[in-house]
Amino acid sequence: MKNIFLLAATLLFLATTGFTQKFYTKSGKIDFDATSASSPEKIEGVNRTATCVVDTKTGAIQFAVLMKGFAFERALMEEHFNENYVESHKFPKAEFKGTITNNETVNYSKDGTYSVTVKGKLTMHGETKDVETQGKLVIQGGKVNANASFNVLLSDFKIAIPGLVADKVSKTAKIIVSCSLEPLKS
Amino acid sequence: MKRKKIILYVFLSLLVIAGAVGFYFYKEYNRTHKDTAKLKPDYTVTATGLLKEFETNEQTSNKKYWDKVLSVEGMVKEVTKDDRGFYAVILGDTAAMSSVRCSIDSAHSNEAVTVSRGLTVTVKGICSGYNADEMLGSDIILVRSVIDKK
Repeated sequence: MKNIFLLAATLLFLATTGFTQKFYTKSGKIDFDATSASSPEKIEGVNRTATCVVDTKTGAIQFAVLMKGFAFERALMEEHFNENYVESHKFPKAEFKGTITNNETVNYSKDGTYSVTVKGKLTMHGETKDVETQGKLVIQGGKVNANASFNVLLSDFKIAIPGLVADKVSKTAKIIVSCSLEPLKS
Repeated sequence: MKRKKIILYVFLSLLVIAGAVGFYFYKEYNRTHKDTAKLKPDYTVTATGLLKEFETNEQTSNKKYWDKVLSVEGMVKEVTKDDRGFYAVILGDTAAMSSVRCSIDSAHSNEAVTVSRGLTVTVKGICSGYNADEMLGSDIILVRSVIDKK
C-alpha cells in the first residue's frame, strides 16, 4: 500500500517537472508586406508582440497577434491599415492554429536545423482560411527559433482594396514570421 | 484695366489655395508618428489596476483604452532586447503570469537600458489592446512606449 503511494507521488512529480514539452514566446515578430510591383513605396508593417506556443509532443503550433500592434512608418498608412483594411476595432486579433505535420522528424533536444511543414487555420478580419507553409526550426542551446513565410490572398479574408489604389496595393500579402521560443516552465 | 486686375487677383488667390491644398496633402502623406514623450497621457493607471480592468471586462476596456496614450506605473518584471536591438519593458506583478508589455520606441532605446527588474517605473505608450491567454497569462500591449519616470 505504501509503495503504491510512493509510486503515485513519483509519477506525479515526473509529470509536473521532468521534460519540457512546450516552447513559447510573447515577443514574436510578424512582418506584413503588401507592396506590389507598381507601388510607389513600401507597404509594410511589423508587429513585435506576437504570442506563439509550440507543443513538442503533439506538434501543435499556435500564434496570436493584435492587429493594432502593427507598426508602419507612415502614420497615415497605419491608420488606413487599421480603419479601412483590417478593421482592427471590429476584429482586434489574428490567430493561427495548426500542427507541424512532420513533427516526428524534429528532435527538440538536439541542436540543428529542421525543415517543417505547418498546416492549419488562419483567422483574420473575421474570416478563417486553411494555410499550409514550409518553415524552419532552428534548435540551439535549448531554445527554438521558428521561421516561416507565406502569402495570403487578401480577398480570402474579405479585405477589400479600394479601386483608386487597386494597382498600388498587392492583392496578396506576404507574412513573414520569426520567433525565438523559450521553454515554458510549468 | 480694372478687369485685368481682378482676373490677376483671382488667379493669384487660386494659386495660393492650390499651393496650400498641395502642401497639406504632402504633409499628411509624409506624416510620421508623434513622439510619445511629447504626448499628454489620456489615462494614468497602475499596471495591476489596468490588468484587473481588462480581465473584468475586455470589451469595455478595449473601447476605453484603444489607441489612447496611457501612463502606466508598475514594477519591472523583465527588460528584453531582440536580435535587431528593439527593447520591451514588461510591467506587472512578478508572481503573476499576466503583464503590461511595452514595446519601446526605437528612438528611446537608451531609456530602456537604464531600467531593470524590480524597479518601479512609469511608462507612457499607446494601447493596442489585450491578448488573453489562459496558459501563458494575459497581456496588455503598449506600442511606441517611452520611459516617463524612474
